[in-house]
Amino acid sequence: MTRRKFALLSGAAIVGGYGGIKAQKLQKPPKLPDGPVGNSAVAVIRARSYSDDLASRMLEGIRQCGLDVRGKRVLLKPNLVEFDPATVINTNANVIAAAVEVFHQLGAAEVKIGEGPGHRRDTLDMADDARYRALIPKFESIFTDLNRDDVSSIKSFAGEEDFYFPKTVLGADLIVSLAKMKTHHWAGATLSMKNFFGVVPGSVYGWPKNKLHYYGIPESIVALNRQFGRKAFAIVDGVIGMEGNGPIQGTPKPAGVLVMGSDLVAVDSTCCRVMGIDPEKVSYLRMAADLGHVRSERIDQRGETIASVRTNFELSHDFKDFRLA
Amino acid sequence: MTAHAVTLASVRGIDDASVHASVDWLLRVVGAEHNMWTRTGSFLHLIKARLDVSHEGWPWREGNATWIEPTAHTLVALKKIASHYRGPEVEKRVRDGEQLVLSRRCTDGGWNYGTPNMLYFDLPSYPETTALALLGLDGVNDPGVSQGLDVARKFHAETKSSLGKAWLQIALRCHGKDVPTPAEGAFISHDLMLASLELLGHPKGNYKLFQVGGRA
Repeated sequence: MTRRKFALLSGAAIVGGYGGIKAQKLQKPPKLPDGPVGNSAVAVIRARSYSDDLASRMLEGIRQCGLDVRGKRVLLKPNLVEFDPATVINTNANVIAAAVEVFHQLGAAEVKIGEGPGHRRDTLDMADDARYRALIPKFESIFTDLNRDDVSSIKSFAGEEDFYFPKTVLGADLIVSLAKMKTHHWAGATLSMKNFFGVVPGSVYGWPKNKLHYYGIPESIVALNRQFGRKAFAIVDGVIGMEGNGPIQGTPKPAGVLVMGSDLVAVDSTCCRVMGIDPEKVSYLRMAADLGHVRSERIDQRGETIASVRTNFELSHDFKDFRLA
Repeated sequence: MTAHAVTLASVRGIDDASVHASVDWLLRVVGAEHNMWTRTGSFLHLIKARLDVSHEGWPWREGNATWIEPTAHTLVALKKIASHYRGPEVEKRVRDGEQLVLSRRCTDGGWNYGTPNMLYFDLPSYPETTALALLGLDGVNDPGVSQGLDVARKFHAETKSSLGKAWLQIALRCHGKDVPTPAEGAFISHDLMLASLELLGHPKGNYKLFQVGGRA
């Protein structure tokens, strides 16, 4: 084969492959499976500002979802990624402080906070910038940097025979994903399920946790939730979310809600609807449809209706066709 | 971890078969994005980040992509061991690794974890990764290094991060730059790793451990 012929054939193969992928994207995705037995409760509670009484709003939502935390060791997992004073990357400190208060009030045996940021090494410095130290009582005594925590391995995870997780995560009875409502340039949206990336220890997998990228972002989100979802609860900080080029360089978008529930797939699907995103087009939610409910008819919406709080988040270029009808 | 072990072996004058086996391993490991598919994708602008994937560098774990921190630590190790290690491969990988670090510089002049832009938006640099990149570039004569040192000095004056400040002290001293000496008792941190770095970065500390040809 001549070099010219090889170049032409390679070009044709690339164009053909690209066209095939594009055509596949335009096709209507197949119907989702029914998911687990029974419906899932998701509470959408209005909170217009971080100076609202967030603890009582949170308590109202948790009660509507029927969560019992008495005697449990609770780990609050906020979303602390980077700090930029011009935007709202991280779970707001007031939301975390309210959660600490609420879970103590509900009878938890212990309430800790843990996070392992994926880009920066100095977690406490970022926590300082995000005002966690200033606004969360006794922050340093209840916080664990999951990137540097002691680890234990579990078998067969993310394509690895042994995969290591922080002991603080493995030892918790309940992990509360205190996520931020944001768009995401790879996944479409980053909510309570994607927030579990922060439990993968940087001391083992590096900064960023590139192992997860190679395993696949949607695949890793689903695997982490298959591992921890059964002992998880979600509280998504949508008081002020992020739209556009999230999860770091987007712009603030007030949505005025806290979204809560024990079925993280249902919580994220509800958040997507609040953001004007069709959850059935989000690949990680489609892949997690056996873990929880994506379809609205299987979600018992408590608190506000979606129609009353829906506010379309600006979507990045690759996700324009994710807009909910 | 292997890179640190090689660096320590070098400064302690250990030059045995196990050190050579470690160096052989470091020379075998390359960033996974250095393959035909990624290079073709990059050429056709199918990748969401503008990255020069023509260099090899080093990943955090085998089979993953190249990042600044593991590349910088490996460059330090290989430069220190180079005089004891026969064969052209060390020199070749060092030069290529240095080019990789230079190519991953952020538009603000410093370095982050290794992605200077994403989706055509520039990303900012960080204090600790800027310091590490400069350690990997010790001995390199390039305008990017001089600009990086200016950014490092600015970070050192402004950052609140103890970790960032400690690495910056080490990097700036290795490059022969003056860094204000911390007041007596201004350090040490309670954290063992951080305290170790702060001591290394002290004017009387063993920061030369990271320098080309430097002895602890």
